[in-house]
Amino acid sequence: MLMMTVKQCGVWVVLLWPYLLSVSIPLDCKEEQGSLSRCPSITQEKLLDRVIQHAELIYRVSEESCSLFEEMFVPFPLRLQRNQAGYTCITKALPIPSSKSEIQQISDKWLLHSVLMLVQSWIEPLVYLQTTLDRYDDAPEMLLNKTKWVSEKLISLEQGVVVLIKKMLDEGMLTTTYSEQGLFQYDVQPEMLESVMRDYTLLSCFKKDAHKMETFLKLLKCRQTDKYNCA
Amino acid sequence: MLWFSSLTGQSTLVGAGGGVTAAKVRRGETENSCHNCCRQPRLCGAMMRKGVEAVLLLSLLFFTSHAKATRYSPPGKPALTRCRSPEKETFTCWWEPGSDGGLPTTYALYYRKENSETVYECPDYHTAGENSCFFNKNDTSIWVNYNITVVATNALGSTFSDPVDIDVVYIVKPNPPEKVTVSVMEDKGWPFLRVSWEPPHKADTRSGWITLIYELRVKLEGEDEWEMHLAGQQKMFNIFSLRSGGTYHVQVRCKPDHGFWSEWSSTSYIKVPDYFHREKSVWILITVFSAFIFLILTWLLHMNSHSLKHCILPPVPGPKIKGFDKQLLKNGKSEDVFSALVVSDFPPTTSSNYEDLLVEYLEVYIPEEQELTLEESKDLHDSCLKSEGSTSDNDSGRGSCDSHTLLMDKREAKEGERQTDQEESQTEAQRQQKDWDEEELTYTHEDMVSPDMSSGRVKTWPSVFSPLPQYTLSPLVQRSSLEMAKQHCLSDSLFPPSSTSSYLIQPGNSTKEALGPSHWDFSLSNKQPQLLHPESQAHSNINISSIGHKQTPVSLLTPALGRTEYVEVQRVNEEDMVLLQPIVCGEGCPQMRQAEDYSKVRGVDSDNMLLLQREVAKEEVDMCPYDDQEADGSTEGCYTSSDINTNQKPPACSYTATPVQDNRTLPASGYVDTATMFTLPTY
Repeated sequence: MLMMTVKQCGVWVVLLWPYLLSVSIPLDCKEEQGSLSRCPSITQEKLLDRVIQHAELIYRVSEESCSLFEEMFVPFPLRLQRNQAGYTCITKALPIPSSKSEIQQISDKWLLHSVLMLVQSWIEPLVYLQTTLDRYDDAPEMLLNKTKWVSEKLISLEQGVVVLIKKMLDEGMLTTTYSEQGLFQYDVQPEMLESVMRDYTLLSCFKKDAHKMETFLKLLKCRQTDKYNCA
Repeated sequence: MLWFSSLTGQSTLVGAGGGVTAAKVRRGETENSCHNCCRQPRLCGAMMRKGVEAVLLLSLLFFTSHAKATRYSPPGKPALTRCRSPEKETFTCWWEPGSDGGLPTTYALYYRKENSETVYECPDYHTAGENSCFFNKNDTSIWVNYNITVVATNALGSTFSDPVDIDVVYIVKPNPPEKVTVSVMEDKGWPFLRVSWEPPHKADTRSGWITLIYELRVKLEGEDEWEMHLAGQQKMFNIFSLRSGGTYHVQVRCKPDHGFWSEWSSTSYIKVPDYFHREKSVWILITVFSAFIFLILTWLLHMNSHSLKHCILPPVPGPKIKGFDKQLLKNGKSEDVFSALVVSDFPPTTSSNYEDLLVEYLEVYIPEEQELTLEESKDLHDSCLKSEGSTSDNDSGRGSCDSHTLLMDKREAKEGERQTDQEESQTEAQRQQKDWDEEELTYTHEDMVSPDMSSGRVKTWPSVFSPLPQYTLSPLVQRSSLEMAKQHCLSDSLFPPSSTSSYLIQPGNSTKEALGPSHWDFSLSNKQPQLLHPESQAHSNINISSIGHKQTPVSLLTPALGRTEYVEVQRVNEEDMVLLQPIVCGEGCPQMRQAEDYSKVRGVDSDNMLLLQREVAKEEVDMCPYDDQEADGSTEGCYTSSDINTNQKPPACSYTATPVQDNRTLPASGYVDTATMFTLPTY
């Protein structure tokens, strides 16, 4: 009986010999353009650059959307009153450094987390903005496209920041998003002017926060290269 | 045994068959063996051997069956050929299947995200075509790498491909640019192509998500090589230096920052219109025009070559000497040449014509204080010696004959003169004298005709007589005065009407000048034949001198240098003699001797000639101590004394009319001093 077992095993092995060679071997990362890269992961520097570029784009488009909205809907005398009369930014409550001295003191980790907080807190309001703008009768299509684009890219940015955090800080991803903390309140449909002003406030606040994100990320990059010379 | 059969389908059958036969054998044998086994142990061992054979047979069959399975096999190994993303938001992967093993094979793509063990399968196998996997926007992330594997599966097995790592950013290959338009435009007469395009509609270049750079290529129809142009990020491009009338092919492609070049867009065709090289035509016109002008200039130059040659290279003037013969010079005979130059009448010889050059002019100057004394004798003013042209004289007082009034008087006197001429008797001497007079008249006439008042050479001898009517004259005197009017007193002495009191008659001191005596000839109306003889002598002298005098007045010579004597007419006595006396003059006057009275007018001969004689105490004719005066002699000629009453008559000097030595008489100025030439014949 034992001989039979041994024979069977031998036959089995003979039959399965091709599969023994199909074990995947991880190769060195080759950054070859024009060929499929064999790197298992993107480098940290590259990732950071991409995140920064992403943030820059988001800021630029948000700026364009805000100015478009301002020309279109906001009456002239009210244009300078952005953060007044009760319309405050929704992210004001977040523990985000705002002054330069604070920013200089904050660590990399907190920089990244601040960015992530910002990003995550803006995802939902932008979606809401999208629906609000659709309600306007004469909203230009360019404005709608822009806002839509921004909301999509913001989600992508969030993913990137998460990956970056994981790569830089070797932390696991925090699955809980800050935006679900109820910062944003849905109001009942207000009157036209109030709606306009609220949206206007929303866009301008987002523009400022996008700029803040970009600044944080750039500061982070600067710290990566030259730690003592960054402002 | 069971799983054996499960794995190899055929072998099971064989095994089953073998088992059946074995079973049959066993059954057969069992029927026999059961009856015999119990009775015979040798039959059981035979059954055991048969079982082992069966197993071996089965295994052989298994192997053979396995060896015979080439028609059916597990699929070959697939391979991922490429993964591309058109806009960095989605991407697609294509693979190449391996051999399918003869059996239908299915393929599956599994991917795994970076740092995650979760294996996902491809969401879309159909959008991108066969053997492809399409990842949409939600599944695409630029933050992480993708690990993709393709698995080929058929009835016999599965085959895994080599995994591939994908970074979406680096696999971007955009679509070709769209809406490529080519048009011909003009830039100052030169055409050029303007190519414009748009980015592929999927690529989001507006927001900056992708940054594209473009490239285009151009070629002429029929050529093989393309001309590449890199356009950068702009969406428009100009192409210059076109061939007129050609057709061009244009294509455009694009590329992101990190990625692949897109495919070339579809070809755009453009035909360049024909245009003429304006620049070339202008040059042709200019060339033709300048050639034409050049031809004209050459022709003109040829026509005027001779005159131009003269202008640029003027000919050397030849010698223009009268009588110069170039031929002689060329022949080499210099003596002939120069002898030909000799002109016979140069330099002028002196001998024959010197007399002609003597001017017989005496200037009579009348000082005012002796006006009274002269009044009487004025009419018998027989000698009116005037020197002409006193410009070069030592005596500066002359020239009074220049006045205009004198000329007028001249004319008057001339009239009278003519009348008197007719009255004259015609003797030979007279005739001669007349001739001479006529000549003189003619001369005067000439002078009258063409008076030259300003030069001081006016012959004013008639004017001498103009004031004469003022004086109380005896009829004889008057007549004589009239006759005197026609005297040959050719002079330009000044005779102002007011100052006619005294006349200075200067004897020609240089009596050697033979012409002098001619002026002393005054024809008086009274006839004194007795004087004829001496007069004839004088006449002869006079004639000689007159002959000589005929010619000289033409020249109107001014009085020559030399010493002059001044005499003044004291009076005309009853014998019709003009008494002269020397005058005391100022400077310039030669020394005057008052030792003698000179030139007492003896009378007027038939020819109306005033004969002067020196006051001789004894004899009529007395040799003047100065008789032997030579031409160069002193000028102290005979002086007339003022004392007429004195009977002391200095010997009349008769100066021979020696030929004037022209050499001396000729002044430097070329004028002949009439005063010096006069000789004072006295008797």
